[in-house]
Amino acid sequence: MATEMNKYIIFEVGNATYGVSTEQVRHVEMVDHVTVVPNANPAIDGVVFSRGQVIPALNLRTRFGFPRQPYDMRTRLVFVQLRHRVVGLIVDSAREFLAISDDMIRPIEQTLTGISGNYLKAVAEVKDRVILLLELEAVLDVDQLEPAPGDLPPAASEALTEAKA
Amino acid sequence: MNADLSPELQKELLDDFYAEGEEHLKRIREALVLLEDSIGKAQADSAIVEELFRNFHSFKGISAIVGLRAAEELAHASEDYLRELTKGRTTVSSAGLDLLMGAAQKLEQIIVAFRAQAPTPNIAGLLASFKTLTGSAPEAPAPARESLPTAVTAGPEAQADEATARGLVIWRCTFIPTRELDARGVNVNSVRARLSAVGEILRATPQVLGAGQIAFEFLVGMRETPANIAKWDADGISAELVESAASEAPAAAPTAAIEHEPDANPFIAPSHVVRVDLNRLDELMRITGELVIHRSRFDDQLAQASRSSAGLDPRSLQEVNTAWARSLRELREAIMRVRLVPVAEIFARMPFVVRDLARETKKQVRLRLEGQQTELDKYLVERLKDPLLHLVRNAFSHGVESPEERRAAHKPEEAAIFLRASAVGDSVLIQVGDNGRGIDPQAVARKAAAQGIPVPDNLDHSALLKILCATGFSTRDDADMAAGRGVGMAVVWDTVRELGGSISLETELGRGTQFTLRLPLTLAIAETFIVSAAGQTCAIPQTYVTEILHLASDQIRTVNRVELAPYRSGLLPVTRLTSLFHLPASARAQHCLLVLHSDRGSSGLIVDKVHGQKEVVVRAIRDPLGQTPGIMGATELGDGRPVLILDGAHLTSGVVRPDLAPVSDTPSFTVDHGN
Repeated sequence: MATEMNKYIIFEVGNATYGVSTEQVRHVEMVDHVTVVPNANPAIDGVVFSRGQVIPALNLRTRFGFPRQPYDMRTRLVFVQLRHRVVGLIVDSAREFLAISDDMIRPIEQTLTGISGNYLKAVAEVKDRVILLLELEAVLDVDQLEPAPGDLPPAASEALTEAKA
Repeated sequence: MNADLSPELQKELLDDFYAEGEEHLKRIREALVLLEDSIGKAQADSAIVEELFRNFHSFKGISAIVGLRAAEELAHASEDYLRELTKGRTTVSSAGLDLLMGAAQKLEQIIVAFRAQAPTPNIAGLLASFKTLTGSAPEAPAPARESLPTAVTAGPEAQADEATARGLVIWRCTFIPTRELDARGVNVNSVRARLSAVGEILRATPQVLGAGQIAFEFLVGMRETPANIAKWDADGISAELVESAASEAPAAAPTAAIEHEPDANPFIAPSHVVRVDLNRLDELMRITGELVIHRSRFDDQLAQASRSSAGLDPRSLQEVNTAWARSLRELREAIMRVRLVPVAEIFARMPFVVRDLARETKKQVRLRLEGQQTELDKYLVERLKDPLLHLVRNAFSHGVESPEERRAAHKPEEAAIFLRASAVGDSVLIQVGDNGRGIDPQAVARKAAAQGIPVPDNLDHSALLKILCATGFSTRDDADMAAGRGVGMAVVWDTVRELGGSISLETELGRGTQFTLRLPLTLAIAETFIVSAAGQTCAIPQTYVTEILHLASDQIRTVNRVELAPYRSGLLPVTRLTSLFHLPASARAQHCLLVLHSDRGSSGLIVDKVHGQKEVVVRAIRDPLGQTPGIMGATELGDGRPVLILDGAHLTSGVVRPDLAPVSDTPSFTVDHGN
């Protein structure tokens, strides 16, 4: 059976595991210093420099409605590229690459897309792990960021993880 | 000469053609705008007509070389009409100007189609109109060839005819060079020599056959058939008899014919102009930016070293450093100047746009262009094309009323749309306005509410602008051709913001509307003051700072939530850097007050400390997630950390107000998620 294998960068936010195709990731860095931008969206921790460009740093904890926590040694900035945009995603940790074949990937069930703010593209099950594949388009959508993050159900992804366990 | 044309070279030559063609079209458009004043005058402005003639002529030449027959014919017909004008046989009529404008537009379409390998647009209508206008246009304008030195003095068609008249027989000889032939010494130059020996070369056209193959087609007038012509085949030359050279159209090239011979330069006029890819200038700019950063780091080191080390002679080093800084500044300015182009590049397109729009409606509009020579960074000019186009279309579609409506309002039937550019310090203002019906805030509010776009209570001009620029906002129920797709103004807003500029709106019901775009002259480097408060460091461009004063805390007064500081004999509204960042106000007794001034107004910025002057490289924040009003970009001071650059124009416009409620550091929504 010929199935397509794609590589993903795997990272953790809250207690859930997420994946983004390596094709959409420019590079991953440790968080050094983020310059606060006044009056920016609450999910934007600020801006950083990367290769001469000023890049906004989007805190995925805040974006997904998890409580904020201080940066530590494991915190990473995952620079993702979406068309001409580059945004740094602040995640709890990012430590692995994973090759995932297409037959491990399932679409998100309708009921779940409804409550997870459509930022999930699909779910991959690799051995015993559930990896939520992000729909970057929705994650980085400025208009979806506008309302307070309170309307994003935080535990949706976790509920999914637990349901699979 | 190696005749094997690599695809890269081929592409490069074609790119040259596109660039050259665009340049000629640009000049044509600019000259046509000026020609309008000559309408109806006994004698058209000869300098303008000559400029047009030259550019159409060159355009014809380069089109012939790449085998773009349609472009060649159309340019030729335009040239014919212009020749009539120069000879004073006819005056510039508005129909004539229309035709020339139509031709310029069609030429552009032809190039676009050629580039996209799409079918060539039809030119028959335009050619027929030209013929009616000039009366004496030739049936089918024979191609102009500038590739032969002799062709410069006499038209090639005339030459071929004349050659036939002299009893010469015209042969078409095609030479396809190969490496093997080249090894034997048979190349285009030897073939040219051979043909010259047996006859007279009337025309030489190189053609690209695809797969990097090139062929040279020679039209040769011969008195008698050469004895050894049958053997030419072996040398890659095929020869055939041509009925009449005059009726011979140049064979359409399978892909594109490209000028290849170094001695057949189509650009006759010597030029001291070099075309440079913008990317290369960007690269230069980036390197210069790095130099600036290195030097400022050196500056710091030098200051430290001269304080601590006694053996150092700081004076001589300081001298070198100063000279270095001066050279750097000169280098920077020189590169900046290279990148500057007049906004005429965009403005000259607008008459075409308005003319097209006017043709589809009954509206009568006069377009006024002012300040076309105002210069702006090339990158900005490129990026501004679409936004300005949109604003002009909007002015026409939404602003300008029908003649009846204007009459009823006691206004002249002909409306005016104006585009005005001017330089103000380090900024360039571009204004697009009309004397049409103006924007009705209530109507906009109703539409916005219906489309689910939030409407503030106080509908001032800036709130109105915000609604107009909201994504998805459209004032029309049905989108028309010119405007009203509901994406335009949002794009205008985004582009201007991205370029580090701003937009403002003025409108008065029944009187008209004006959009003002304020843009930085260049993007790259600014002289700034580095300031800080409560640990937050920022840069502010020096151009906005007129004075720096000390201020005691108790001198600051609050009136209606606005803080005021005494300044000269009056009071100056002030903003604290801390409140901009939602930080607690510093408890210090002494502050620094930066007096800011722009054409929008004056205000003060209160900071704890001014660290000094610094040249910084301005990096725009391109992603919308990082953009907020009041911040024009970021820079780094040597440690790799972004330092925000404050937007002085924004600070002086009275938009920045201290917030009432401090924003807490904790997220607004928390959840207890059990593990």
